[in-house]
Order: sequence, then structure tokens, then C-alpha cells
Amino acid sequence: MSYYLLQALNALSFSVLLLLTGLGLTLVLSLMNFINLAHGSFFLLGGYIATQWLASGAPWWLAFPCAFVLTGLIGLLLDRFPFGQFYARTHLMQVLLTYGLAIIFADLMRWGFSADTLTPPLPEILRGGVWIAGLPFPTYRLLIIAAGIALALALWLILDRSLWGAALRACVSDRDIAETLGLNARRIFTIGMAVAAGLSGLGGALGAGMLSVHPGLDEEVLLLALLVVVIGGLGSVKSVIVSALILGFVDTFSRVWLPSFSSAVTLGAMLLILVARPQGLLQAQARTV
Amino acid sequence: MVMIPSFSVSRRRLLAAAAALPVAAHAPSVLAQNGPLKIALLTSLSGPFASLGESMRMGLQLFLEQNQYEMGGRKVELLVEDDHGKPDEALRKVRKLISRDRIDVLCGVISANIALAIRDVVADAELLTFISNAAANDLARGAASPYIFRPTKTSWMLGHTGALWVHGHIAASGGITLGSDYAAGREYIGDFIHTFEAQGGSVGQSIWTPLGTADFAPIIMNLAAAQPRFIYCFLAGADAVRFLQQMKDYKMHGKVPVIGPGALFDQEDVIPAAGDASMGGISSFHQSPGAPAAADFVRAYQAARGRLPGEASTSGYATGQVIKAGVDAVQGDIGNKAVFKDYLLGNAVGTAFGPMHFDPRNNQAILDIYINEVRPGPDGKPFNTVIHTYERVRDPGPKA
Repeated sequence: MSYYLLQALNALSFSVLLLLTGLGLTLVLSLMNFINLAHGSFFLLGGYIATQWLASGAPWWLAFPCAFVLTGLIGLLLDRFPFGQFYARTHLMQVLLTYGLAIIFADLMRWGFSADTLTPPLPEILRGGVWIAGLPFPTYRLLIIAAGIALALALWLILDRSLWGAALRACVSDRDIAETLGLNARRIFTIGMAVAAGLSGLGGALGAGMLSVHPGLDEEVLLLALLVVVIGGLGSVKSVIVSALILGFVDTFSRVWLPSFSSAVTLGAMLLILVARPQGLLQAQARTV
Repeated sequence: MVMIPSFSVSRRRLLAAAAALPVAAHAPSVLAQNGPLKIALLTSLSGPFASLGESMRMGLQLFLEQNQYEMGGRKVELLVEDDHGKPDEALRKVRKLISRDRIDVLCGVISANIALAIRDVVADAELLTFISNAAANDLARGAASPYIFRPTKTSWMLGHTGALWVHGHIAASGGITLGSDYAAGREYIGDFIHTFEAQGGSVGQSIWTPLGTADFAPIIMNLAAAQPRFIYCFLAGADAVRFLQQMKDYKMHGKVPVIGPGALFDQEDVIPAAGDASMGGISSFHQSPGAPAAADFVRAYQAARGRLPGEASTSGYATGQVIKAGVDAVQGDIGNKAVFKDYLLGNAVGTAFGPMHFDPRNNQAILDIYINEVRPGPDGKPFNTVIHTYERVRDPGPKA
């Protein structure tokens, strides 16, 4: 019994990790309708920032806001140029632009942070484990679970429930009308992009303790994030949360029972969901991607 | 009317250019006799093996610097090419190196699929080639070639010795294997099980996990529940770091012996990131920073780079040592391939791995394989300490 409870906690922590990888992408892809394949680079950059911060000996908990702010700033700069010029373009153009940038960022980060695998030196307080029903569970995963739930909740409230989220969605669905009504679409997109980049960086900072950081993590993460966002369907934060949970649990339990076929089982589940619900899990209205 | 003169001019130019071609084509080969010896290093400076590729380059450069870029009385020119970890890119670079740069020696190659991809091209060109790192058994068997030398291990040499050690010193049954689910993982684990069973042992469950596994927790909990007597494990790079750290997170570190081919506890690639989670790990490897043969190299590498060498950097250095031995034997006359080859096949070369002989059947190195245990080093940090040496381990070769 306690064994399955712990495996469920493992699944939950992996779901939250998926959610952390997916949050930034959700914001740009499903709400701003912008395909950002450089998303993984923000995640990796956040991981590197947190690793450097924790190694520097400064107060450890500041590593996470620091990663959020710095990657957010990069997002802001990229929004000025060149992302801003591409929000209204076709998806193919966005793919070409952001994929190219992702390759450049990967080279820059390899140059700046070395090609070695790095692990953040976590403070003692996060390193240990707690005993749950007689089995050990790492403290750090509890932090990830808590942080992921808090972030998801905040994002859901802001985007799906607040006026600001409504404004962002209005600018995406009909920019001209939204601007006629007095919304500054350009500024709203800029804020959206910066927050999305910051969220990706924060995800990377939190994920680094579990995944370690290395060149290539950006691509690994991008793939997971795309899976989460596409299965969830575009348009709402809630659907991404649900899809991260489904993927996390399917993946973890396929590893428990059929480790050799875990990828096949997970991708098979994704295929079934896409066939059954081509618009995504909780999707109501159609939009071309 | 305008077209014709312009056509004739371009035709004349074309003829002139064609006439100049043989001269231009001859020039480099004439120069090559007196010019520097051209050694090309093909390695991965970007892509998934970037860290290993960088280390390999540093190792080779360190060796060349120690020898003032001179071998057999000739100056050495080093050309470094990045294969991006991709076979097609590697092939393109090798063709360029052969036809345009007219290199004398090719070395490097991190991954086995790249070694196999360039094999036919270098074999057809009869280019002296040294595969410094790729381990696939087939390179010493079906894909062996007269001018391709392999100054490194094969998967079998590590899987086989790992099995001998585990069977003799840990347990003869009740173990579990865990491997990265790709060609190298299948080969290491397969060779381990084969020898282990030939010794009369039996292996329990075999677990496979995809390359780039993010979360090992579900598998580790199964390992904890199964309580195996040992885990034989092939994982490399970030996978190895994650596995070792998560073993520690789930309080499994130190409870079950973890044994693997050296990549699992690579001194440069894994241990700095895994930290104390690597302590107590046992690996079978042809490289150890604690091996007596490596002492001088380890000191020089530490001075140059501020860290201990792992396999990739040592293989760069050892490849330099082997090439130098051959070039010295022909006194710089690299065209004399027969003498070059005979020397390497007939004489042991002292390398940073240990004494290296070459098997005349397949040009595969015969190496001492160390059993390393990760113990606190002189500075208290995890250090691959040699606890046993299997001398002169030879791959079964073409007949296997």
C-alpha cells in the first residue's frame, strides 16, 4: 500500500515537473498563439542561473526569483526584437525563427557555462528526505510539488479568471477589435512574453535539482513541454494541468510495470487522446495550429 | 551578337583554369613531403557528446604541447573538426579532410555509429585512422580494417571483466541489470550477462530505460522492493548523474552495490556532478586516474585544466602517444604505412591507460582492465581507485 502511495507521489512530482516545463510554453503557444521553440533554452538558462546562484553562496531561496527575473528580462529583450515582429506571422515563420534562435542559444550557453553536466549544490535543508508511510521520499520533490501547485494555481487565476487574462486572450483572438476598445495589444504581448520566459526559467531553476543541467536538456524539455501542451489542447491553463497529470501518471506507472516499453506506452496514450479528442482534452473551440 | 564574345571569353578562362588545375593539384602533395605532418581530430564539440569531445581535444593538445608539436623529427599540424555527434556530418568532414586537407592521420571519434559511418571511406582511402573512444564490438570484429587502429576498449572487454569481478567478489546470483536502451547499453549488459552465466552465475531481471530518462524514481523504488544483491548498470553522462543522485535521494545509496562499465563513474564526466552519490561505486574500465601509468598525465592535465581526467581526455592523450610511437618508428615518413603498422603490432606502447599492445588480427588494443572503486581521494573527494587489474584483456576478435 505504502509502495503505491509513494509511486503515486513520484508520479505527482513528475507531473509537476512536466507542468513546470509546460507552463511557459502554454502561455505563449496556447494563449498568444506564438510557437516558441526556444522555450527549452529559457528552461536551461534558468537551470544554469540557479546552479550558479546556489554555488555562489548567496541565500539559496533567492535563486528561484533570480532565475525568473533574469530569464524574464531576456524574454523582454527578445520581444523587442525579433519576436515582436513575428507574432502576427504564420506559424512556419515562427518555427524557423525560434528554432534558429534555440540553436544559437544552445551554442552560447555551452560556451558560457561549459559542456559539462552540472548539478546545483542544494542547501542541507532541501537535500534530505522524509519518511512517508515507512518509505523515504526526497524533500526536494516535496518542494517541487508545492511550488508547481502554487504556480499552476496562480497562473490559472490570472489567465483564466482575471481581467488581465481576458485582455490577453482578447488581443489574441481579435487584435484589431481589442485595440479599438483601448487595449494596448503590443504592450500586453510584451508582458506575456516576458512572463512566459520568466516562468520557463523558473521551471528550469526548480527542475535543475532533479534533472541536473547539461547541453541538450533544452531539446529534451522542449519535447516534453510540447507533449504536455498539445495533449492538453490550446486555450486554457486548466487543460495543461490535466494533461501534465495524465502524462506524469501514465509515464511513471508504465515505468513501474513495463519499464522497457514506458516510452511506447506514454506515446501510445498520447496518440489515443489525440485520436479521441483531436482538439485536446478540455478544448471547446477550434483553432488552427 | 553580344552573347558570343562573352561566351568565348568565359570558355577561354575555363580552359586556362583547367590547364592550371594539375599544377594546383600537384602542389600540396609535393609540399606534403617536407611540410608538417597533418593529424586530424574528428570529435564532437557540439551535440550530445560535446563535453567528451572537448575533453578529448584537451587531452590530445596537451600531449602535442608536451612534444612541442613534433613527431619523428617532423612538425605536426593539428586539424580539429566537429562532427556534431551526427554520422552524416562526420562523413562530410572526413571526405573534406581526405580530399581537401590531405591529412596523414585521422583520430578521435566519440560515438560508435560515427565510427561505423566513416569506416568505409577511411578504409578505401587507406588512411591511418585511430578510433580513440567508440567501443562497439563490431569495430574489432566484422568492421575491422587493416589501417584502422583502435587504441581503446571494446564493450566486451568491460562487460566481461565486470562479470568476472562481480561473480568472484560480490554475488553469483540475485542481481539486477539496468541499462540505457540503445546499442551500447544492449552490448555492455549482454556481454556482462554472457560471461556471468558462463561462470555459472545467474542474473535476475533486466531493466531497460530510454536514453535521456528524466526520472528514475519509479525504477529505484522497484529496485528497493526487489532487494537485489547487486545492480549492474550501464548509463552515461546526465543519465548516470541523475540515477546516482536519485539513488541517494531515495536512501538506496550504499545499500546495494552498484557496478558498471566505467562510463557510469567517469571521473570527469559523471563524478564532479554526482558528487558523494558516486561514492562506493565499482566499475570495470581501461582508464583510471589512479593507475600508475596515468600518474604523469594526471598531474599535467590537472595543471592544465584544474580537474581530474576521465576516459575521453585520457583517450585523446593516449591516441597521441600511440601515433607518436608509430611516426617515430618510421622517422616521420608517414607514407611508409607497412613499417608504421608493423611497429605498432609488434611493440607495446606505454600510454596513459597502461601498456598497450595491438592485436594483429584486427588492430584492436589489448589492454589492462582496472576494477575501480570510487573512494575518498587525497582531498576527500570521490576518486576512482584501482582495486584490481585484469592484465592484457583481449577481445575475442573477428571469430566471435
